[in-house]
Amino acid sequence: MPDSMIEIDGLVKKYGDRVAVNKVSFHVQEGEIFGLLGPNGAGKTTTISILATLLPPDEGQVIIGGYDLQRETGRIKPLIGFVPQELALYPTLSAWDNLAFFGRIYGLRGTALKERIAAMLDLVGLRDRAGDAVRTFSGGMKRRLNIAAGLIHRPRVLFLDEPTVGVDPQSRNFIFEHVERLKAEGMTIIYTTHYMEEAGRLCDRVAIMDEGRILALDTSRGLIGLLGGGVIHVGVAAEAIEDLLPAIRTLPHVRAASAQDGRLKIETSEARPALLELIELCNARDVPILSLEVLEPNLESVFLHLTGKRLRD
Amino acid sequence: MLKQILASAWKDLKIFFKDPGAVALIFLQPFMFIVVMSYALSGLFEPGEGQIQLLAVNQDRGTQAAAILRQLDEMDAFQVETTWEGQPLSREVAEKLIVGGKRTLALVFPPDFSEVLEQDPAAAQRRTTRILAIVDPATSSQFVEPILGTLQGLIERRTYMAMMPRGLDHLFEWLAPQTPVEQREAFKAQAQESMSGGLVGGTEPVVTVERTTPAGMQVEQYPDTFQQNVPGYTIYGIFWIVRLLADSVLREKREGTFRRLLVAPMNRAVMLAGKLVPYYIINLIQLAIMLGASSLLFGMSLGHSPGGLVAVSLAAAATATGLGVLVSALARTEAQAGGLTILLLLTMAALGGCFVPRFIMPGWLMTMGLITPHAWALDAYQDLLVRGYGLWEVLPKVGVLAAFAAAFFGIGVWRFRFE
Repeated sequence: MPDSMIEIDGLVKKYGDRVAVNKVSFHVQEGEIFGLLGPNGAGKTTTISILATLLPPDEGQVIIGGYDLQRETGRIKPLIGFVPQELALYPTLSAWDNLAFFGRIYGLRGTALKERIAAMLDLVGLRDRAGDAVRTFSGGMKRRLNIAAGLIHRPRVLFLDEPTVGVDPQSRNFIFEHVERLKAEGMTIIYTTHYMEEAGRLCDRVAIMDEGRILALDTSRGLIGLLGGGVIHVGVAAEAIEDLLPAIRTLPHVRAASAQDGRLKIETSEARPALLELIELCNARDVPILSLEVLEPNLESVFLHLTGKRLRD
Repeated sequence: MLKQILASAWKDLKIFFKDPGAVALIFLQPFMFIVVMSYALSGLFEPGEGQIQLLAVNQDRGTQAAAILRQLDEMDAFQVETTWEGQPLSREVAEKLIVGGKRTLALVFPPDFSEVLEQDPAAAQRRTTRILAIVDPATSSQFVEPILGTLQGLIERRTYMAMMPRGLDHLFEWLAPQTPVEQREAFKAQAQESMSGGLVGGTEPVVTVERTTPAGMQVEQYPDTFQQNVPGYTIYGIFWIVRLLADSVLREKREGTFRRLLVAPMNRAVMLAGKLVPYYIINLIQLAIMLGASSLLFGMSLGHSPGGLVAVSLAAAATATGLGVLVSALARTEAQAGGLTILLLLTMAALGGCFVPRFIMPGWLMTMGLITPHAWALDAYQDLLVRGYGLWEVLPKVGVLAAFAAAFFGIGVWRFRFE
């Protein structure tokens, strides 16, 4: 058994001149939930599509379960399950028929198939709707069935591509609980999302992606730690910025300060006392505060801190 | 609210005009239909244009047959051909031309035609003769009967003109003033019969037209409306599988189920085959139902070659399914597939003779029809159902259909995108 279930080294994917995935490298341990967090267009889906054997990489190496993705695709396919962003189901077929079809594609037959379908329907809470056409399901129910279809053949690695897009809060919680249960069973999961709370709650480690690159990779706690006690953005008159910066850097609860986009960006060890110290300083120097934004230490503000952009931009 | 309506309308107009398939569906498809059907039917609606070509084998030792043929040729609707490649037409050459599909009807005037028309009414035994109308059995009755009717009218006129003077001379010589009533009645009947050349009142007309087929062609049954229309509309119908198949493939791409299958341990050829097989089966069921129901409900003959019927049906269904793969590969949206399908299917069906028989089309359009699988499939079915051919005779046409299927499938697979 390899140490890492997934090893990615120098992965590159280009569409013409546009580089969708730019030298991405990371390892995922068996039983780990690994998050790819980033806005739309960051390269998450392209990365997961390469790992799921849907797209060939232009450069780099991918090893899954000890097999090389480009040379041993046939050995990798039975190991992986894929839950695409779309509701990849047949709407006119029943939930049972959908699972039966995907099960048969993976070679399940007879009693084993029936038992597996029943188990999957129980798992996603759709046993009582097994015979109903999928088109009659709510969005959340379809999402749950979408996940069940990716699990029908007991994969060791599951790729979940934005599984909660367009899902109501109740179904979202259901999906979270389900993913946590899969982790408890030892499944390795790669989970892409642009919702920081999902990454924070579910993932052991998170890679923050933007414009095809990994900007930071750590546990959620580690990433949030990059911000210390939080970040304060302060808008002041442009001519006051250079005067204030040296004084701000000497404040007890300030770790670093810089000018960014015509504002002061202040990284703190603790946001609240740092804010009081800052206001006192501005009052003492008679510098009016034009705007003020306090970023609580979370993955959203980490992303903003790293890219200057918000996750939902 | 009005602004919202206008914004929505503008958005949908933009979407429409950015989709070539939808534009083709709305504009090009009806235009193509108008053009093809108008040319196809030009022979029926424009006298002098697209004349019906009649082969005439004149074996008559006298002048009466030539006179009838001249009158036929003077009519706008007909063009009478008495020679072929510079030589007087023989019956053998005429039959070969019909078997080869170059002509559909030939008239053979017998050597004694003039002698019979000009015979002595006082002769002890009246002579009769017959004109042979050699017709491709797959030719519709709607086409043949008016031609034979016209010919019959001309013969009657010719017969009357040839026989009337001699008949009257004879009657005057024969007539006596003290004739009893019963003898007078007999005279009336005799006069009527003589003056019409035996067409009225007589036991047998002096000239009859006998319909037959070229040597080597068996006639299962002269084609009625069903035999003419069922194969044509069946072929037209089976090609609609193209639309179903293309829609299904594009829906799978749009809904992401193809992506899910691509992740599974399943190669692309298997995926494509899995997609085709059900539609091929649907096609075969469709053929079985249409031909079977027409046989059971309308008494349509299915010929005497089940093997031939199976071979043609398998090849025709493969061609239709192959075209489905090609359209699935070329179209990027369901609207494009819809437009392309309608454009292709209606044009091909019209050119291939599914709506109107190809033999009434102008020569260049008849030739053009051969670029469609519809023409070959229709001809193959008519060989079996109407001309009484067997498997061996239809094999070349099955081969052509198989080549169409291979070409459609090959190009389709080459251009197919799974995502």
